[in-house]
Amino acid sequence: MNVAYFPGCSLHSMSREYDVSTRLVCQHLDINLREIEDWNCCGATAAHSVNHTLAVGLSARNLSIAEEMNLDKVTAVCAGCFSRLKAASHELRNNPHIKAEVEQMLKVTAPVKPEVEHLLQLLVEEIGLEAIREKVVKPLKGLRLAAYYGCLLTRPRQIAQFDDPEQPVSLDNLLKTLGAETVTWGHKAECCGGGYAASDTDIVLDLGGQVLKSARQAGAEAIVVACPMCQGNLDMRQKAMELDFRLPIIYFTQLIGLAFGYKSGQLGINKLFNSPMPLLKSKGLA
Amino acid sequence: MNATTSPVNQYFKALQLDETDSSLSQEILENCGVDIERCLECGKCSGGCSNTHIFDFTPRKIVQMIKIGDEKRLLHMDSLWCCVACHLCVDRCPSGIDIPRIMDYLREKAITKGIPATRPTVELFHNLMLDQVHKKGRVSELYLILNYNLKSRQYLKNAELGPQMFFKGKLNPIPARVKKMDQVRRLFRPKPGQKGEAR
Ligand code: SF4
Ligand code: SF4
Repeated sequence: MNVAYFPGCSLHSMSREYDVSTRLVCQHLDINLREIEDWNCCGATAAHSVNHTLAVGLSARNLSIAEEMNLDKVTAVCAGCFSRLKAASHELRNNPHIKAEVEQMLKVTAPVKPEVEHLLQLLVEEIGLEAIREKVVKPLKGLRLAAYYGCLLTRPRQIAQFDDPEQPVSLDNLLKTLGAETVTWGHKAECCGGGYAASDTDIVLDLGGQVLKSARQAGAEAIVVACPMCQGNLDMRQKAMELDFRLPIIYFTQLIGLAFGYKSGQLGINKLFNSPMPLLKSKGLA
Repeated sequence: MNATTSPVNQYFKALQLDETDSSLSQEILENCGVDIERCLECGKCSGGCSNTHIFDFTPRKIVQMIKIGDEKRLLHMDSLWCCVACHLCVDRCPSGIDIPRIMDYLREKAITKGIPATRPTVELFHNLMLDQVHKKGRVSELYLILNYNLKSRQYLKNAELGPQMFFKGKLNPIPARVKKMDQVRRLFRPKPGQKGEAR
């Protein structure tokens, strides 16, 4: 399967382990990720917060390159990038005014063909849990995990069009397929504070702290994420939140890779802030 | 906190009904495709909101203020600068009122009118990030944070995270530059009728 891949800025700098594990897992599942050539930043929270046309335009440019590469499916693993790409695609299809504006600025025909999917959706809906189960050589036995979806994987529903907006199950099902156990908890789709980590840290300490406490209360040994922003907010601020859990925050691609038999070092698991290594070792998984 | 200065207290303040005006609802309908008149006044948006406990005006009240055209307070409110765009409000709304889109629209309008942000560091961060997109097309998180600390005069903010990130090989200061920058930059052009760069 050929898929256009949008890594986004985080995966090229602070979250390289997410990029590395994504590529390994996709290769293992015969998904041919083709990085969008000359891609630009999706504008993240900043662009849509202050300039709607710019926000749509930045993602429209990336989608138009994917279209030029003859790829009709685009995937991202950052929930933020995914949301921006998908919201732009929705705007270009439904808002003729902004479509014309962006076409005139970019000097290209608006890319309305490519379908945008987060990698999690692509894995559970197109590759399928059965195909994934067949490749598991090292089941994640004994790991008790909190599957965290955050806001943008499933919301707003008319744009994300994936799973349930507040009680999602796809990541839980995937982790169970890998042999792990998942906890029932109340904060799986609550906000971690998003893009406020630097500019208004208190918001992240408050909202992210609630997510961590809830996972801990449910008995989770680690939280599994599908977004570099969620990962950073939950992993790097535990000390500032005055929480002494040292709860590991692991990318879902890293756990798939582990179950597929890759070594923790190959998946960049050692790059995470609160190291999952003691936990994984205690379960004989690393 | 003093009861009279508490932001929560503003919630109970009576709305000024002597200058009502429906042109803002019309404007929101035309620009955001959101029909405020479909609001059922049920309050589910506020019930779901992630940050309503720190908002000066809750989503439900914001919708009501649009109905009566209370533009001045809407453009000055703190909620514009601490909405986390979590989309819980719109998802729970039985009428699908897209409040985060309205928040973006009002914020953009406030900026265009030169109304200062109630949380200047939030606006500063957005601007520094977009400056980098304008310069290189991509963002280096390290450069962004350092530049933000410098401009917000919080020189040591997050410094304790630095060494650990360095040892984990997480700091990569030089992002690749987009080749077709002219195309990216054209997106920043001011819209007709607007002065300066529309960002
Ligand atoms: S998007 Fe903003 S207004 Fe809506 S629920 Fe989230 S924080 Fe509240
Ligand atoms: S949830 Fe929707 S219908 Fe109910 S008060 Fe909020 S905007 Fe109005």
